[in-house]
Amino acid sequence: MKRLRDRVTAWLGDGLNAPLLLGAFALAAYSLLAGSSYSLRLMSVAGVYALLTLGYQFIFGQAGALSLAQGTFFGCGAYVTGILGSQLGWGFSATFPLSLLAPVLLAGLVAAPVLRLESHYFALATLGIGQVMLLIAVHWQVVTGGANGLAGIPGIVLFGATLPRGLPLLATIWGIVAFAALFARLLTCGAWGLAFTVVREDPLAAAASGIDAAALRFAAFLLSALYAGAAGALYVHTILVVSPEVLEFPVMVAVLTMAVIGGRARIAGAILGAVLLVHLPEWLRFVGGTYLVAYGGALLFFIVLAPDGLVGAAELLLARLRPARPGVPPAAIALPPRVACAPVLAIDDLAKSFGGIAAVAGVSLSIAPGEIVGLIGPNGSGKTTLVNLVTGLYRPDRGAVRLGERALAGLPPAAIARAGIGRTFQNGNSLEAMSALDSVATARLAVGAALAFRRVLRPVASRRTLALARGEAMHCLELLGVAAVAMQRCRALPYGTRRRVEIARALALQPAVLLLDEPAAGLDGAEQDDLARRLGELAQGGIAILVIEHNMDFLMGLAQRIVCLDRGRVLAVGTPAAIRRDPDVLTAYLGAAPGQPA
Amino acid sequence: MIAFQLLINALALGAAYALVALGFVLILNATGAVNFAQGDLVMAGGYVAIALAPLLPVPALLLLPLVLLVMAVLGLLLSALAYFPLLARPPSAVFISTIAVGIVLQNGANAIFGAAPRAAPPLLGAGDLALGGIVLSRQSVAIIAVASLLVLVQHLIISRTQFGRALRATAQDREMARAIGIGANAMIAASFALGAALAGAAGLLLANQFFVTPTAGSDLVVKAYIAVAIGGWGSLWGAVAGALLIAVFEVGVSSVLSYTAAAAGLYAALLAILVIRPQGFFGEAAQRRA
Repeated sequence: MKRLRDRVTAWLGDGLNAPLLLGAFALAAYSLLAGSSYSLRLMSVAGVYALLTLGYQFIFGQAGALSLAQGTFFGCGAYVTGILGSQLGWGFSATFPLSLLAPVLLAGLVAAPVLRLESHYFALATLGIGQVMLLIAVHWQVVTGGANGLAGIPGIVLFGATLPRGLPLLATIWGIVAFAALFARLLTCGAWGLAFTVVREDPLAAAASGIDAAALRFAAFLLSALYAGAAGALYVHTILVVSPEVLEFPVMVAVLTMAVIGGRARIAGAILGAVLLVHLPEWLRFVGGTYLVAYGGALLFFIVLAPDGLVGAAELLLARLRPARPGVPPAAIALPPRVACAPVLAIDDLAKSFGGIAAVAGVSLSIAPGEIVGLIGPNGSGKTTLVNLVTGLYRPDRGAVRLGERALAGLPPAAIARAGIGRTFQNGNSLEAMSALDSVATARLAVGAALAFRRVLRPVASRRTLALARGEAMHCLELLGVAAVAMQRCRALPYGTRRRVEIARALALQPAVLLLDEPAAGLDGAEQDDLARRLGELAQGGIAILVIEHNMDFLMGLAQRIVCLDRGRVLAVGTPAAIRRDPDVLTAYLGAAPGQPA
Repeated sequence: MIAFQLLINALALGAAYALVALGFVLILNATGAVNFAQGDLVMAGGYVAIALAPLLPVPALLLLPLVLLVMAVLGLLLSALAYFPLLARPPSAVFISTIAVGIVLQNGANAIFGAAPRAAPPLLGAGDLALGGIVLSRQSVAIIAVASLLVLVQHLIISRTQFGRALRATAQDREMARAIGIGANAMIAASFALGAALAGAAGLLLANQFFVTPTAGSDLVVKAYIAVAIGGWGSLWGAVAGALLIAVFEVGVSSVLSYTAAAAGLYAALLAILVIRPQGFFGEAAQRRA
């Protein structure tokens, strides 16, 4: 009993939980006391929009893709209920599941071509789908009732009785909203929440962490359609007609506005935004039709000044009033041993041109387990391009990359990362609010099967998986000597520390090969020595390491072999000492070897 | 005979679309962001003409400079409200902020002018021209002439003046433009002004034959996008060609089948283009540089 009370107190004291619970009670009280059938209907519509926006948070909030198809999915669900209910007289128990299924099928159908598009291409493609659906709804009169739509849709029948309108309907809708919100919470509070954050804020870091962003975006798109279908069906049961209005752009704009004003990627934000914006016309009735101008103005205001919406602003305020103590880092857990024997990375005749300029022109190179190879060359000689080719960010024009027996060229970057090639970027990650620990733990989750849908669905097991991943991430941070900053946010870390956290993230993949792009940049002498020692230990553990570096002193003690690139080709290979004296290398770097005329 | 008249109608429509698409691509080039309010700027241009007409009872051709000026100011306002505050944010933020501006414009127009379709005065008087048995709408011919002139002037400004060179330099590489002393932000603001002015001109041209309603713009921005996608991302002449192609398609299919079929065909074309050639359009796809 006491334990329960402690847990409740802890929950209430955590973040915005108490104010949100209070808000929920206020909503319930308002609905019970409001009385008039009009205000009950308005609250029901608010519930419908809350459901719709909750779904939109998956694709727009979590996955960060500006979909303009949410209104289309809503209309699709509405029309399925409308047509089956009104034209064929089917009951709720048949129409409701089909209203959920139809938008999901539509989403699955259009996802393949549309989801790989980026930013506004994706937005416009999803808009185009909506326009086609609207044309069908208006012009396929026999089935859809044309511009007038369909009336006479039966009410919701549950357990053999028709649900009365007013309070019972409202309670049912909000019951479904509550269930949907809990389900959304279940899906996004653990492994998926972390993975979505990385996908949204730094797609390149997501790929390097082995996160299959395409699969996550697909799941988010289908979930958003599922919620939208439910919302569409309930909307039709609330207003009892369906007309092309449900497919028109204002519905989409309303959802977008609710998500932005309430708070992107926040469950409470979806509900708050929906309740506020459905009631806004009522509150602004005195200004007449121009309230819609205020609508647009509010959207502009929030997107510019408060991109995280009302709930985000409340979080900021709370953080200001009661600064969060940094959490206690978990105890480190050693990574499980790698089963496979250490393979050799073999790069064979790899080439890539950009607009006629050969950035990499046939490079062959292999790195054995435990070996540290330095990759040097003047700016523009193709070092980073080579790493981008090996890790799949660029698709090679020709050539092969093999890790042991496995051919990697042509695989997506995340698959290459999971196959055992870890990398860091020259500028470090651009994750903002995520803790260093979680940025590393996400890679652990991606390597295991923790991001699979059925795993995320099991709350107890997934919490355990997350705890394990965090423990193992702690171990990776310790290996790089940055365990002390585990609970700090990535953006708060100094440059050199952030680079080490990135190497720790690459280590979390348990890679066979590490590709490090200028890891010593921004480090002082002592830090460089420390990093070199730690990299040496990693190599002794059997990892093959390729280090891009300009700093020859750093490489001298570290690398057994140095490869010098010039204009996309291997210019020289040798021990650090030999490379230092190599006249070709000196010419490439300095324009002319000492003692020779330029 | 009818075919020729249809062609003239299509060219007139296409000329107006070309102005919309040109404005769209100017802003796109300068900022890398989609201006979703471009269609609503066209609508606003139409209403500016309608509002000015009773004050100055002259042919609409003489109103054109005033409309261009008012719309250029609106373009500057748009950049100040919806673009510059979002410089550090992903392009989708600008997409949303311009959607917001579009809502404000639409509902503002609705509040001031009402939802009923309104018409602006004709460019040079109504009626038809008879040329050796061919009867042409005076307005269509005037639209083609005025739009061609505007496209030509725009082309001369962009290609022949120092201002145009600075504009192009900013579009190609903002940082490099800054490094050689070009006020990149001023150039971006100028692109918005120019883009909005072209949209406003299209509004004036379209608002006589096709009327204008507060929601007329939403269709146009999608057409501008399709025109730009057909013509090659970022190419000014491509946008003009794409716009003409769309108009010919629209008028042709409408005359044989129906307007609905034409609209459906256009959207299907949009999806097909995006599906078949997504890579080709990834000009600004984020790529961490070496």
